[in-house]
Amino acid sequence: MSPSRRRWRQLLGDTVVITGLGVFVIWTLAPIVWMILSSFLFQRALITKPPNLSADSFTLKNFQKVFEASDALINAFTNSAIIAGGTTLIALALGSAAAYALARLQVPAGNRIALMVLATQMFPGIVIIIPLFIVLTRFKLIDTHVGMMAVHLSFVLPIVIWILKGFFEAIPRDLERAAAVDGATTFQTFRLVVLPISLPPLFASAVFAFIESWNDFLFAVIMTRMNTKTVPILISEFQGNYQTAFGQMLAAATLASLPVIIIAIIFRRYILLGFSEGAIKG
Amino acid sequence: MLPALLVLIAVVLYPIGRSIVLSFQRVEAKGGRFEYTWTWLDNYRALFRDEAVSIALRNSLYFTALDVLATVGIALTVALLLNHRFGRAGIFRIVLLIPWALAPVANGVLWKWILHGNYGVLNAVLKELGLIDTYVNWLGEPSLALRMMLLADVWKSVPFIALLLLAGLQNIPGYLYRAAKLDGATLLQQFRFVTLPALRTPIAIAVVLQSIWSFKVFDLIFVLTKGGPGDGTLMLNFLAYRVTFNFLDFGYGAAIANLIFGIMFVLAIIFIRLIKPGAPRSRTA
Amino acid sequence: MSSPRILRSSISRRGMLQGTALAGAGLATTRLPFGRGASAATNLSVLSPLAPDPAPPGVAEFSEEAFAAWLTENDAAVNYEAVAWPQLHDKMATNFASGSYVHDVIYMSGWVPEFSEFLTPIGDLISPELKADLPDSSFSTVTWDGGVYGVVFTLSLLTLYYNTEHLQNAGISAPPATWDELKGYAKELTKDGQYGWVLNYGAPEGIGGTASYWMTFLQQAGGKMYGKDGLPVFNDAPGVDALQLMIDLMPYTDPSSISNVGIVDATNVLKAGTASMMMNWPFMWNEAQNEETSLIVGKLGSAILPAGPAGSASIDGTDAWTITRNSPNPELAMKLIEFYLSKDVQKRQVLDTGWLPIRLSALQDSEVQTAASNAAVVLDQATHPYESFVTPDYNAVTQTLGTEVQKALQGEKTAAEALKDASDAVTEIVNKRLNG
Repeated sequence: MSPSRRRWRQLLGDTVVITGLGVFVIWTLAPIVWMILSSFLFQRALITKPPNLSADSFTLKNFQKVFEASDALINAFTNSAIIAGGTTLIALALGSAAAYALARLQVPAGNRIALMVLATQMFPGIVIIIPLFIVLTRFKLIDTHVGMMAVHLSFVLPIVIWILKGFFEAIPRDLERAAAVDGATTFQTFRLVVLPISLPPLFASAVFAFIESWNDFLFAVIMTRMNTKTVPILISEFQGNYQTAFGQMLAAATLASLPVIIIAIIFRRYILLGFSEGAIKG
Repeated sequence: MLPALLVLIAVVLYPIGRSIVLSFQRVEAKGGRFEYTWTWLDNYRALFRDEAVSIALRNSLYFTALDVLATVGIALTVALLLNHRFGRAGIFRIVLLIPWALAPVANGVLWKWILHGNYGVLNAVLKELGLIDTYVNWLGEPSLALRMMLLADVWKSVPFIALLLLAGLQNIPGYLYRAAKLDGATLLQQFRFVTLPALRTPIAIAVVLQSIWSFKVFDLIFVLTKGGPGDGTLMLNFLAYRVTFNFLDFGYGAAIANLIFGIMFVLAIIFIRLIKPGAPRSRTA
Repeated sequence: MSSPRILRSSISRRGMLQGTALAGAGLATTRLPFGRGASAATNLSVLSPLAPDPAPPGVAEFSEEAFAAWLTENDAAVNYEAVAWPQLHDKMATNFASGSYVHDVIYMSGWVPEFSEFLTPIGDLISPELKADLPDSSFSTVTWDGGVYGVVFTLSLLTLYYNTEHLQNAGISAPPATWDELKGYAKELTKDGQYGWVLNYGAPEGIGGTASYWMTFLQQAGGKMYGKDGLPVFNDAPGVDALQLMIDLMPYTDPSSISNVGIVDATNVLKAGTASMMMNWPFMWNEAQNEETSLIVGKLGSAILPAGPAGSASIDGTDAWTITRNSPNPELAMKLIEFYLSKDVQKRQVLDTGWLPIRLSALQDSEVQTAASNAAVVLDQATHPYESFVTPDYNAVTQTLGTEVQKALQGEKTAAEALKDASDAVTEIVNKRLNG
């Protein structure tokens, strides 16, 4: 291939990639842009054909009203943080131990159990809610942080175990054998050798667990009353039977996404590394 | 290992078990309590006769198939783009995560207003661009509504799958590509013989996970169409909700849930059988 | 005890009539329980919607001093659980299914027959003075199997709302008073991308769903849902005529109507001025005067629903208070409900939150009539039939009936076919319940 033709091909390829990236950004951000825009508009501007984007349609009132109910807001954010944080920590602790045990078991049994673990994901949450509610009521865990953590763990733990199991299986056994030769117990090996080199998938599981717990609505609304209201419940309260405060709902939703996005930004490097070594080998 | 098992048993297995038992019973409210009477296979017999179940099953399968295809396809493209030297910037990864971070509740309501037949912004934008003459009622006709829900769900599902595939891409050693180029392979051939085989497992995992999540889709239906119009966008998970919570027919709802579980379990086994034989082997030219 | 019984966050009071209770109140109501300071007080737990949906004092902002006084007088503390409307039914179903005591007083909207097994009959507990001041027909949706299980606390009936400017421009001097006028006017008003009629046909079930709209027309045609044996009798001329009217209106109905899942979507269209007429609940009045969300401020008119062959008719929104069966303090709970229905609280209910009172004396109060200009219309509507046909399988019946209506509206079936299929399905549902 002649040099100029190669360069021309290169240019074509680059253009395709740049266009692709552009389309990707537009496609991903378009609804978000609309969401943020709407949160700065009066509702009367959103119901016309087409939406009225003239200057007098804009307002800060939506955010103002959301901030005014700051007690409820702070309360919800605190609850969500406690529940999501707790779920994440427990999922990591229990999940890593379970994943390690599974990884070191005989292969057929390990895979079979992994399939069982995956199978728990297949049951629609809608229908297990009532028996679950009865269980929690009996243990007096309704409207408690611990109760919500237990419920969230039920659908976070299996995936965390799955991700971590794959990673642990890929660790060369020599490291562990070396530790055993030095006289370390299994648990010490786990704690001092395996865990430190597993930080990336641990972070990946943590981000996944946090986001899933933070965003859960279905279980949260049934299992809580007034004490442990979470952020998704707060957002849903803007929807009434007779009126929906659309602008305020989106303002609250924008605020609600910020913690998750900030955490994702901070740990973005680890997310990638984690997924690559964990889930793939599973 | 043990604590995790205990938690799982209490919080997962008991409700699932209870639910399976429920599907063989009929529940009625009497005197301030719910009474459970054994009716054995009655609920399942009703399942087969129920027109709503067949509509929901058809819609669920259609939706899941297209959702998985579109999500994995788009996610793969996105992953390839982000793996290119132009796409390596961190900003793209952050943009990617934003749909994932949005609370599902708000996501549903946002799309509802975007897609509204009268004042939705999608109509306004398309009309401005000259792509349509009159406003389209996106959620008014079942097949169109299903496709719009696909759009919303794909939009929300791509981030996680793209991350999965991107990680798989970054795992591919560079020397494989160099070796292929030395052999004179074109870009397309490189993709076919180096990239795709190496991505076999990540794609399989993506397909399995996304299938489970697509089949269970609920929030979008609840907010956008409630299964309508005329039961046209009814899906199994929503039907289970409606039967359980609106009609208080707990036994029948549990039977539908078991149907959902059964289908997903069978599909998962099929997928896993498909990927197990032939784990990726490294290629030597 | 001199310490105040009401703990609250520092949110300033505002009148609902500016529409600022929208979500400001919705969020503000996640407050601490009322009167929690006194441990000796009897605790009552209440499940209620959030403002601006119909809500009691303490959840919506009105009658707070009176409430504090009542709490002290009765040595009580009230714990509110205020929930977004879509989750109300699910929550109470789950609570009932668990069999444990959760709430004393629960808000219901058309679910009384469904949950009657879990409620305390309160027919005997209502004071005669209160009973005399309530319209008799308001009890029909909260009575089942011979027992009265609840008290409706707001007069909420569907009436006609229309854009006065549109009608004026089209040369129409008065809102439609008959079915023919309704069809005729809707046709005249449909032009230039605007439509004469808009409604929410997207959700088939429940009060305010497609089936319930058809039921208003059914009554206007002189029909009814069930016979004495509980089996459906609506598959006759009035039923078909009612459905046919809705079908005839479709060319003049805003196309988004078939996918409008909640009343909010349809209300938005009317408020934007892109449709001319609709049926709606009393709250619509204030909503249209809110200039933050409405473009038709001052241009809304209200009238009773057009009369069919048998006259005008409507349906009851039936927002009611009930007492649970396993409440440990039913008498105190009843006192709380009577407080909500006391003359002053009912008056403040409409003046501060826009929800009409149910007490006849309050409805006839001159201050109320001046402040709530659509009160007269709703009162007038109340002189015509307004049966909601609520039964324990109301959800299942309206789901199936509403779906058939939707199919007819979309032209998939004729009115006669749709009603026949609906009648068969409803018969099956009712038989299953009656015969176990």
